Amino acid sequence: MTAARVRSWLLRLWVALVLGFLTLPAVVIVLASFSRTSYLTVPPRGLTLRWFAAVLGDAEYVHAIAFSVGLALIATIGSVGAGVAAAFALIRRRVAGGAGVAALLNAPLVFPGVVVGVALLQFYALVHANGTFVGLALAHMVITVPYVVRAVTASLQGIDPELEHAARVLGASGPIAFFTVTLPLIRPGVAAGALFSFIVSFDNVPVSIFLLGSGQMTLPVKIFTAIEYGVDPSIAAISTMLIVLTSLGLAIAERWIGFHRFV
Amino acid sequence: MRHGHGWWLLAPVLLLLLAVFILPVGMMVPTSFRPYVPLVGITGGFTARHYVKLVTDSYYLEIIGRTLGLGMIVTGSTLVVGYPVAFFLARTRSRWRGWLTILVVFPLLLNLVVRTFGWIALLAQNGLVNQTLQALGLVDGPVKLLFNFTGVLIGLTHIFLPFMVLVLIGAIQNIPRDVEDAARVLGASWGSAFWRVTLPLSAPGILSGSILVFVLTISALVTPRLLGGPTYQVMSTLIYDEFLQRLNWPAGSAQSLLLTVMVLTLVYLSARLARRTGTSA
Repeated sequence: MTAARVRSWLLRLWVALVLGFLTLPAVVIVLASFSRTSYLTVPPRGLTLRWFAAVLGDAEYVHAIAFSVGLALIATIGSVGAGVAAAFALIRRRVAGGAGVAALLNAPLVFPGVVVGVALLQFYALVHANGTFVGLALAHMVITVPYVVRAVTASLQGIDPELEHAARVLGASGPIAFFTVTLPLIRPGVAAGALFSFIVSFDNVPVSIFLLGSGQMTLPVKIFTAIEYGVDPSIAAISTMLIVLTSLGLAIAERWIGFHRFV
Repeated sequence: MRHGHGWWLLAPVLLLLLAVFILPVGMMVPTSFRPYVPLVGITGGFTARHYVKLVTDSYYLEIIGRTLGLGMIVTGSTLVVGYPVAFFLARTRSRWRGWLTILVVFPLLLNLVVRTFGWIALLAQNGLVNQTLQALGLVDGPVKLLFNFTGVLIGLTHIFLPFMVLVLIGAIQNIPRDVEDAARVLGASWGSAFWRVTLPLSAPGILSGSILVFVLTISALVTPRLLGGPTYQVMSTLIYDEFLQRLNWPAGSAQSLLLTVMVLTLVYLSARLARRTGTSA
């Protein structure tokens, strides 16, 4: 019995250490963002909010935040529309070669992001779409749509097709039955897919970095290039804002739809 | 359930993938066979020298070898570090389980550049890790932890550990507890019950988690770039430089296609293996 207890405590200790390892970088960034020093240091020396003020007063950062949010919203709206339709077709309609289509829909998930980025760089240059917002938004739809399809497929598989069938028998047209019966039932899956899509688009560097035109800048690419030039506490401040927003978003999503079921 | 609307509903996604994914990637094939003259650019003609260089030039061979080596080592380290965590989270009846799982998911959702930036702060010459090592008297001077193998390994392990843990949790939860208990009742020690029952039964999860982490590692761009710097190159950062700095698109296309073929081969083999062993992992 004592051996079992020792084992159990060793396991807990290991879990605690690993969870500590996983959260360590976020903790360090938050601490460093309050430092009075103009270089990055942990633990922080003094306490100041000037790096947060510096970021929010920097037009380039503010523009990058707005651009990233707008891009992620548009990409998400597009991939939710296309993704829900595709998931519905694959689960509820018999489509010849459905397995092949499903595999194709998953392809951008395993494809190296950098390859998608450079392929589109060349392709857009050829069709004179380089540096356009439409081109960038379509590229983001390609990398986000698999997440919507996956989450919505999981949701659709869990509900009885007879419910929609009953609505049809009672006289509802196909679209009416879908929007009034099926869609409300798969809402958690759609919400999880949309959330994933937003995060994946908002986070992306390997595709965006090749496609951004002049005057366009996403937040992660801005931080990425800022780090390559040299690190300072303002990068820690903008990172801290992202850490806080991500934590809040995750906590809300967990309460609202039980987010961990969709991971 | 027989309606003819299936293809109409699929049309938007299929058009999108065809025009903005398959066609552009496919067009890299002809580009990769075009000659490239420095200061002139891409010229007409046909050449296979970009591929020949990839498999004969020691500079490229070293980068390919390093990429694959990192893939294997990161896969191994996430497996060893993550297995006990997944085992605990799959088996615990603690009421904290949901939130502990969320702690594993959190880094996954946090911006990748931000996470990598955290490691720069930790691993720098005067960073927290070096401060701690020196305070403990383990080292005399600062250790070089950035812009080399160590930094990239730590960063990639951190970034891909949640994927491994989440896949393993699913696999371990699928193993009925009774099987392990049966082994114990029949006289197996805890160790041999684990090695001969639990671990083999979680093999499908280990396989799919390992393939996933390996594929993600050899495709990663941001972390190797920021923690490895411009000199410690892997395939993704090589492609990045080829396209944005050297502007040698034909060579970059050949490198991209090689990376793609490696990734797709692995994914295909793992899908076949999973089907043959009758698991849906």
